[in-house]
Formats: sequence, C-alpha cells, structure tokens
Amino acid sequence: MTTSFTATIRERVQRIDTMPAIPAVFLPLLKMLSSSTEEVKVDEVVRLVSYDNTIAAQCLRVASSPLFGLAQLPKSIKGAVISLGLRRVETILLTCCLGQAFPAEKWLLDPAVFWRHSLGCAMVCRKFSEKLAAADGERAYMAGLMHDIGFMVNCLVFSKEFTLATERAYREEIPLDEAERATMGFTHCETGQALAEEWKLADDIIDVIAHHHAIEQSQAAQPLVALVHLSDLLCRMRGLGYGYYECHKVDLIAEPAWAILLKEHKDLEGVDLVRFTFELDEAVEEIHTLVSTVFGSASALART
Amino acid sequence: MTMAPQPATAPIIPTKGEAVDPVYRQIRDLVYKVSGIYKAEEKLYMLADGCGRRMKQLGTRTPREYWDTLTAQPNRDGELRQLLNEITTGETCMFRSQPQLDALRKVILPEVVAEKTKQITKRLRIWSAGCSTGEESYTLAMNMLEESERLLKGWTVEILATDLNDRSVEAAKAGVYGDYALRSTTDYFKRKYFLAVDDKKLQVRPEVKKLVTFNRLNLQDDSRMLFMKGMDLIFCCNVLIYFDGASKAKVVNHFFSNLNFGGYFFLGTSESLMNLNDQFHLVHFPGTIAYWKPSLSSGRL
Repeated sequence: MTTSFTATIRERVQRIDTMPAIPAVFLPLLKMLSSSTEEVKVDEVVRLVSYDNTIAAQCLRVASSPLFGLAQLPKSIKGAVISLGLRRVETILLTCCLGQAFPAEKWLLDPAVFWRHSLGCAMVCRKFSEKLAAADGERAYMAGLMHDIGFMVNCLVFSKEFTLATERAYREEIPLDEAERATMGFTHCETGQALAEEWKLADDIIDVIAHHHAIEQSQAAQPLVALVHLSDLLCRMRGLGYGYYECHKVDLIAEPAWAILLKEHKDLEGVDLVRFTFELDEAVEEIHTLVSTVFGSASALART
Repeated sequence: MTMAPQPATAPIIPTKGEAVDPVYRQIRDLVYKVSGIYKAEEKLYMLADGCGRRMKQLGTRTPREYWDTLTAQPNRDGELRQLLNEITTGETCMFRSQPQLDALRKVILPEVVAEKTKQITKRLRIWSAGCSTGEESYTLAMNMLEESERLLKGWTVEILATDLNDRSVEAAKAGVYGDYALRSTTDYFKRKYFLAVDDKKLQVRPEVKKLVTFNRLNLQDDSRMLFMKGMDLIFCCNVLIYFDGASKAKVVNHFFSNLNFGGYFFLGTSESLMNLNDQFHLVHFPGTIAYWKPSLSSGRL
C-alpha cells in the first residue's frame, strides 16, 4: 500500500468524531492495561468502573459466565477482583467497554456476529495460551478481542467501500480481508492500526491489529500475532466467523504462524488440535449467550 | 400411604439441562483417550445416559462406582467396549453431517476435480468403510448425483461400501429406510431420490443404487485391504473405536496407502485420529475436520 494511501486512512481516522457512546473509563482503562501489572492497583480499577454503573453491572454479569470460571454472581467489582484476579477482571471490563464504544446505527456488519467473533477469538486465544506454559493468557485475550477493530473504522469512515467488500465476500464465499483488498485496496488491518495508534494502544496490540493477516510483516510481537492468527482461523472454521460460509480449507499446522509459535513455545507440539477444536465447540453456545448479555442492546438498535 | 421403595440399584442419571456428576467428565476423558470419541459438554448427558444403561445392567448404583468398574476391575476393557456400543449405536442416519457434505461439495470436490483433471483422469472413487446399513453410502451417492450436471459432468463416480456384518450389508443393498433414518433428509432429496414402499418406508431409487457397490470386508484383513487402491475419499465413521491401539494404527496406515495423493479421509463428527498417523494433515473446513493426504503438487509431503 502506498504512503499516501496510509496517510489518507490516518487522516480520516483522526477525523472520526462519531464515537459518542465510548465510555469515559475506556481509554484510561486501556492505558492502565498497557502498563505493567505491578503498576495497576485494584482500587484504581474499582474507582474507574464506579463512574459508570452500566459498565459495572455488565462486568458483574459477564464475570458470572461459565467462560470466566465463576459459578456465582459476584456482588461487587472488588468481589469479582478477589475471586477472579485483577487481570481477568480488567479483560472483562475491556470487553464491556469495547461493546459500548461504537454507535449502534453505524453498523454495516451484524454487530452480534462481529462481537461473537471478537469475543470468541479472545476466548480461544486465552484457551490456547493455557496450553502453552510461557504464554500470557490475559494479554492474548486482549489481543484477540481487539484484533478486528478495523472493521469498526470501516463502518464509520469507509462505509460505501466496505459495503461492497462485504457483499463480495458473502457472494463469493471468500475471506473478508481478501474481499476488502480486492474491492477497496486496503483492509481492516490498516484502518485498525490507524485507530489503535490514535488510541495509543501498546505496541504488541497494534502489531496484532495491523498484521494478523500478514504475520511475516509483524515486528513487535510475532508469537502473539501468530497466536491470534491461528485462533482467528479456528473461530472462523467453528461457527464463530462472520456469519457466512467461507469456502476454504485451513491447514493450521502448515500455516507459517504455527512454525512461528512453535519456535517460541515448544509445548505447542503436544497440543491435541482436534480435542482443542471440540473443546472450542463447547464454548460457542456460551459465547452466544454472553454476546446477547453484553452487546444485546447494540445489536437490537442496529437492526431497527 | 406408603411410598413404593426405590430399587436399591436404580442408578442416578441426569437428563438434558441438568448438572452432571463431574465423574462423567472423567469418563468422557477416558473414552476419548481410548477411542478418540469426544462427547462435548452439551452432550455429556448422552454419555451419562449410556453409562446409566450399563450401570442398570451391572447393578452399579453411583457413577463413581461405575468409574471404578471402567478403570480398576479385571474386565475393564470389556466394559469399556460395552459402553462404546451404548454411546455410538443409533447415531447413523442419512445426511448426518451437513458441514461434512458442504465441505465435500464446496471445497473438496472442486479441488480433487481440478487436481485429477491435470492427470486427465475423470474417475472418482469413494469408499464408505464400515457402511453399516448404507445410510452414509447413499447420502454420498445422492450428493454426487447432484453434482453430475455440474462439477462431475462427464465423470465416472464409483462408491464402494463395505461392512463386516453380513446382515448390515444385505439391509444396505435393499436400501429401505424409515422415519428415523430419514429424519435429516429434506423433502427435495426424498422426492428426487426415493420411492415409497408403504406409508412408512422409502426405498432409494435404482439410479442411486447403481452408484454404490456393497461388499462384506473385514478392515483387519490385510490382504484384502491391500487391494482397495486408488481412493479419492474414504469415510470411516465410528468404526475405529472398536479396534485396539495397534489394530487401529494398522487400519489407518492402510487407509493412507489406499488413498490417492490429494485424497481425504473422514471420521465421525466427534471422532479424532489422535496420534495414530503422522502422515495425514489435519485440515479444517467450516464446521468439520478431515485428514488430507497431501497432493504431489502441494509440496507438503
């Protein structure tokens, strides 16, 4: 892609003034999540969240989902932090905030489908990390959740072009990024990168957003990008894709991402990929439930 | 009023939606380790149901006691086999896995056809190994007939269907099915490919039967397995579970040799090959998985 093209995307992203629903806690929270764990204080998170009752209530509902490992609804954010640990609560908060960070009437994709994919990818990234001793599960969750934010940008500032791209993807049953490139000349990776830089996200998360379809170009966090790439593919093959049939075959172990991840995590070799796939299927229904809990109102609004 | 006493041996079996005893997860893991069959969380009650039927026959009261029978008793292998029988019977029907059929028609057939066209071959050979009473074999035949005016125009399609059980093979040849076997078959397929036998049963039409050859075959019979050459697709659903580790590996290695380069091997929907063969590539399609013998042109051998 040419430099002038990149500049145009950046300029249009900077001019986005249509994110009114973005919760006040979102950006400070992101900043906090990007700093190292030791610096994050429980009280600070609790204080931030207490500004926004909707987020706090949603966070507690999500925390009680079996996907996050609590059988009972925690009574307070602090209670959730004690039961689940600070880092997991942060990722739950991020999930809820991101859900509100988009004006419902601007969706071109079905928002429920988008969130199922993003949340699904986040969960798979975390589950995948749990199989690899040296991987950071919560970081992987965050990367999975954010990897496709470029689609939000496309809906907001490239709506006409993006509509054509999605129509082409559905019609030809090809991956969405392929249709974007063929129709618009760029993808959600470039537009997502511009937004991520605007939000001043951490370098590794920017790397994931920018390169999850072109791992060889990633620099800041290649193993994390590879992990998201593989999880993304797996989600799209197991009912957590973009709501249409993607007519292609995926050989995960032959993917360059697999070799990159294996180099960093030798224990990847011992992962039973078929069983992992079956386990992912178990989470699909819960992800559907969770999305209607957290993002239900946005989905309903978009359809009206 | 007196309550009828509960029989001392009535096992406690959860129903759908009810929380299951964690022991069933242990049993699920054991079943997976031994057979490659994975019962997902939402299907655990089916596993519990199967265990319940066995527990009733054995007079075992609790799932924990049954776990001991499966792991510690001298007849544990025999009991595991009985349990596998319980959880896999009645699973077969026409159009059992739509994602498998979609992958076949939308992704695999175009790929195999393109690959074979390069070799100027217009013949497709499919093997339904462990075909039972023919549901899978005829489902494949109907789907191939659907493609006969498009992708497979001018092609010869041959479906070989084999089973160890003589009675199953005879029933398969007759091709007569009731509501249960036809529960996933659409009206379109029923009208196009079946004839009414009576008001309850349908029989597959002769043009469908013509595509399929049924035979008795023991997958453990090495000399006959060596003859099953030149396959493009092999389907072997819920059959390998009945073999022990060594025989299973041997049969899978045969399948690998029986396949052409670029061919595909399918197991049942919740079945895994685990580590039986490291030459096959595990591949994902939307909603289903398969094992691929890389084509010569793919450079992946």
